[in-house]
Amino acid sequence: MTLSLSDPTWYPIASSEDLPFRHVYQGQLLGRELAVWRADDGNVNVWENRCLHRGVRLSIGINEGGELKCQYHGWRYANRSAGCTYIPAHPADAPARRIENRTYPVREAYGLVWSSANNDIAFTPFPGADSADWFALRPMPANAAPEDVHAALVRLAPDDQPAELLPGLALRLDGTLYFVQPVDAGRSVIRGLLAGQPDDALTTLRHYNEILTKLRDRLERAAARKPAPTPLQPIFEKVAVDLATMPEIAIPRGNTMPVVVKRKWTSADGVIGFELAARDGHLPTFQPGAHIDVHLPNGLIRQYSITNGPGELMSYIIGVKQESASKGGSKILVDTVREGDLLSISEPRNNFPLRRDAVRSVLIAGGIGITPLLSMARFLDKSSLPYELHYFTRAGEQVAFRGDLEALHGKVILHTGLPRAEIASTIATALGEWSRAQHVYVCGPSAMLESVRTTAAAQGWPDEAIHFEYFKNDKVIDDSSSFEIELARSAMTLHVPSGRTILEIMRENGLTVPSSCEQGACGTCLTTVMEGEVDHQDVYLNDSEKRSNACMMTCVSRAKSARLVLDI
Amino acid sequence: MITLYDFELSGNCYKLRLLMSILKLRYDIVPVDFYPGRQHKADWFLKLNPFGQLPVLKDDELVLSDSGAILAYLAKKYDEAGLWFPDDPAITAEILRWHAVADDITATSSAARLVLGMFYDFDLEKAQKGAHRIFRLMDEHLWFGEREGRDWLCSPAHPTTADIACFPYVMLSEEGGISRQDYPALRRWTDRVRRIPGFMVMSGIFPAGRALETT
Repeated sequence: MTLSLSDPTWYPIASSEDLPFRHVYQGQLLGRELAVWRADDGNVNVWENRCLHRGVRLSIGINEGGELKCQYHGWRYANRSAGCTYIPAHPADAPARRIENRTYPVREAYGLVWSSANNDIAFTPFPGADSADWFALRPMPANAAPEDVHAALVRLAPDDQPAELLPGLALRLDGTLYFVQPVDAGRSVIRGLLAGQPDDALTTLRHYNEILTKLRDRLERAAARKPAPTPLQPIFEKVAVDLATMPEIAIPRGNTMPVVVKRKWTSADGVIGFELAARDGHLPTFQPGAHIDVHLPNGLIRQYSITNGPGELMSYIIGVKQESASKGGSKILVDTVREGDLLSISEPRNNFPLRRDAVRSVLIAGGIGITPLLSMARFLDKSSLPYELHYFTRAGEQVAFRGDLEALHGKVILHTGLPRAEIASTIATALGEWSRAQHVYVCGPSAMLESVRTTAAAQGWPDEAIHFEYFKNDKVIDDSSSFEIELARSAMTLHVPSGRTILEIMRENGLTVPSSCEQGACGTCLTTVMEGEVDHQDVYLNDSEKRSNACMMTCVSRAKSARLVLDI
Repeated sequence: MITLYDFELSGNCYKLRLLMSILKLRYDIVPVDFYPGRQHKADWFLKLNPFGQLPVLKDDELVLSDSGAILAYLAKKYDEAGLWFPDDPAITAEILRWHAVADDITATSSAARLVLGMFYDFDLEKAQKGAHRIFRLMDEHLWFGEREGRDWLCSPAHPTTADIACFPYVMLSEEGGISRQDYPALRRWTDRVRRIPGFMVMSGIFPAGRALETT
């Protein structure tokens, strides 16, 4: 038999015991090196053993429970999806969301972890697999060709009781099953299973270990007399150029996916929790601070932050504020959507990226603004990075996700029912004077955001250390101006009259441009400005970005000059 | 006052820095340019250690050489709990047995690293084969240890100088072209060593991730 890189057979690649929590196991199958790790939720990941960045082995990386971190440059990949969640020093602080490491299929069964080179055939248990409580022997690596190892195991059988050959380089010998893991053309691991738990496990293990050691030594002596087979040459696919380069922050909308409302509950007075699960398998990777667009039954689209921690991809949990004055978005979700209903959501997007190279992160939440910060706190918590989470509510009953907050190990401080003046001084104390590599993240009502921004600035915090997310733009938009826009890439000049937005005019003229909230709060329609003076009316850009005159939100902002040249 | 005559990239010197870090000892360092300067063969150094080997440790007027011997000295003198080099005769024998293994690891894994990293003229293939032979034995010992509830090389329920002595050149083996893929129990043991409170790194030896804390 000739080994093939594309052999779709399922082979055991590790024992279950090889994968304790927070360890990364180094394996190999058919020439391909594997990083195998168990996440804190018990899920086993089998990945190509290289960081997409520089090809450094991930088996020397750190298993943080929900993510695997490359030790060399800090790239992180999420449990289940292998999606890259963090690229340190990435210019825009925003990793390319769709970069994923290569994963291989995995099944954990009968005390062994199984994988295959591809997904071409489904995992099928070996004959009689369900008839016993299997007991795994100590695996025995051997520097010998898999077919030679298989043949030698067959020869262990006495003449009157020949071995029963099973598919996938396996055999049954007097009730004991042996699997030969084809590591490479000239390397193998013998993995044995006994039917049933032995009375004296250690003696039994030592007995089989001795038999297999002797067999291994014979095989290696024989292999040394033969020319070494050529190792298999796996081809490592390079990351596509468009994925390896800097992504646009605004990713065009389009892809939606159906999710099931798995659970709906009252998380606090005025806050309803929704757990949204994929219909099959896991949801896409997300970053802390990311949100999803939820398409509501009445046609409206609203953004909600994902509260989950790293690598929790089986469902997204969001919190929805029950507002009497709601414009119909949150209200319809709260009033009409029930458990079991299907909703359509976008892929997660992140306009509120968390830096994980800070020496201190201060998270400040007001009311429902806790949702993105809860996700951030969970990421920082899992990475054992220092953070403080300040959560302001009017009353104790309004503290949402209380149980989740109590499970955090960091500093979580609840500020309940403070008078307005005291809120400002509390924020000032929480922030303290700025020093290098400190960052503050704030999400809450506009007044609180403004308070944090002015307080922080007064205490020496530079713009780039203050990160905020508006849920809505409370400003009154002045759309009385009229001006020309020149679209540099599209070679078009269009007139924007008063009362109409740049976005509307562009769409009317056949351009497909991304947008989401259309009120200058979410950052989706961020556009590069090449010439002209912008009349910023959004709440997304910070003051220095606004002063730079180099970018704008086309949904609400306008021109002070007669003409704007946009990079569209 | 303790002074360590040290070469930063030497695993044998790192053993002492590691134990002194765990025991929270203060010490001075005198850098010795082992490579490329060959200062360990210089006259002034040979007066300290006629064997011409690093590390050397001076504790006030006492001059000591050989990393395993110095580990035992530091533990017996400065580890008040007596955990790192226990007095029990059987355990002492166990530890000394593994100190001898550590020397074998130096003669194989470290030698391979010197060939590939510092252009020493040793038989690379022989060194690599020798390291694999030792690693196989260690993996088997540690694998059965895990089944017996033993996390470390020796029988006490805590690490000893044996673990420190064997650790560096196991971790640095890849620099000598010796993969640890076939030794999963050995790899898990290196995680445990790297989680000892007070653990410090050296070039080529990274920290491990934190263990799962169950609260």
